[in-house]
Amino acid sequence: MTRSFQAIVVGAGPAGSSAALSMARAGLDVALVERGSFPGEKNMFGGVLHRLPELEKIFPDFWERAPLERHIIKKGVTFMTGDSSFNTTIEAGSFDKPPYNGYTIFRPRFDAWLADEAVKAGATLITRSSVEDVLQDNGRVTGVTIQGRKGALKAPVVIAADGVLSFTALKAGLRRPTFDAGQMAVGVKALIDLPSDLINERFGLVREQGFANEFVGCTSGVRGGGFLYTNYDSLSVGLVFHLGSLKSSGKTPYDLLNEFMEQPQVAKMVRGGKLREYSAHLIPEGGYDMIPELFGNGILVAGDAAALCNATGLNLEGINLASHSGILAGQAVIAAHKAQDFSRKGLSSYKKLMDESYVMKDLKLYRRAPKMLHNNRIYNEYPEMVCSVMESLYRIDGGAKENLSKLFIKAAREKVGIKNLAADGLSAWRAL
Amino acid sequence: MNIDEIFDFTSFTIDREPHIVLDTEVCVGCDSRGCTNSCPARCYTWNEEEKKMTFVHDGCLECGTCYVVCDRKAFTRWRYPRGGFGVAYRMT
Repeated sequence: MTRSFQAIVVGAGPAGSSAALSMARAGLDVALVERGSFPGEKNMFGGVLHRLPELEKIFPDFWERAPLERHIIKKGVTFMTGDSSFNTTIEAGSFDKPPYNGYTIFRPRFDAWLADEAVKAGATLITRSSVEDVLQDNGRVTGVTIQGRKGALKAPVVIAADGVLSFTALKAGLRRPTFDAGQMAVGVKALIDLPSDLINERFGLVREQGFANEFVGCTSGVRGGGFLYTNYDSLSVGLVFHLGSLKSSGKTPYDLLNEFMEQPQVAKMVRGGKLREYSAHLIPEGGYDMIPELFGNGILVAGDAAALCNATGLNLEGINLASHSGILAGQAVIAAHKAQDFSRKGLSSYKKLMDESYVMKDLKLYRRAPKMLHNNRIYNEYPEMVCSVMESLYRIDGGAKENLSKLFIKAAREKVGIKNLAADGLSAWRAL
Repeated sequence: MNIDEIFDFTSFTIDREPHIVLDTEVCVGCDSRGCTNSCPARCYTWNEEEKKMTFVHDGCLECGTCYVVCDRKAFTRWRYPRGGFGVAYRMT
């Protein structure tokens, strides 16, 4: 059976559901198509949900409504090497007051909630439906077909929010047919059960306060990093690798994850926990230069499908950018309906809204970060250097002390070389 | 965590019809076979003695890694499972 809508959104993740929500609230008849048996079933991330300014306009009491785990009050970075590690932590009082700065969430719960809000606003959610093809008429997208179903879903405009590989954008001719492994990362994650009072004791938290920590130097030479986040009564522990580097290393993500969890400092954090779920996903980490065409005749692309991910080394942003782009795509469709113009030109307001938003501004600002992070020394030599300097600084064993700058230069010369240090410093300065 | 016990900790609704089909003849001529180590679910195994690639779609996490790392275009089909099938995360 063929059904007609005023707009079709492919994918009920943060981008798709935000788009559907904004359009449905404006009175449009929207289909939200999801391949999982419920929204969120296929989705994982290894991250923190950051502020969602556009969504907070719709839900001013966002943190009261959304199914969140803990709000992050403490963020840390750990430089690791062998059995030594150097930690930096920021704990800010302002992070403990609403509007909170970030949360841990479970995607199967959060994504299901957001899609449900779109449904409450009037969107039609169609689950268990994998999009097979994009219908086109004279070079204009007019709908989609569903695998294993007869008929089609028709609409004058489709929003592709179907994730990192976006076959919808591919079929509409908006993304290139192949990806570069150098622009992708893969994340693997173990979800570990741990009682909430034990989490509070272990990480110095009370109530629903949360801790998020990143690790460098824990990936056996593969370019990448680790993370550990506290959920309400579980921990998310995982690793993210640059795909090209993982591929050529010959190492496997699960062996590296096991090694990471057995590393003495991490082992103490996860001790007594029970593995509940293992998950993995690709992350589009190519930054600004990876972004495909954002719009065409009758089609817009949002979220991971548009490679909207900001990986600067310190923060990893994705869901916030996805949700924001989804809402802006929805606004462009609402404008296109008013003007009854779904051509490339009619939908071009999306690009304009995006360029004016923090999404594109940030991605442009950090345009050089992906290249800067393709430097093996960041993942081996620098963590070693930091740990070695700090170890020497704190070692009091009767030997005469060296001054800090000498210590630092000696460690730099041994581990990375002065020339490399200068070049890397300049590259980081430019990128960040 | 033992990856071979993936079905003990991650849920799947397995479709008999594979969503990914591999022309394993192409893999014989591949010199990197990055799929075998990069796949987070160990769906790809290379047998050096028999010079044979084996792919099992059952425990596929639908992450997309193989789609990107395969530089021989060895897939005759690469799509997501039919609606309602495949990996089913509960709390990740």
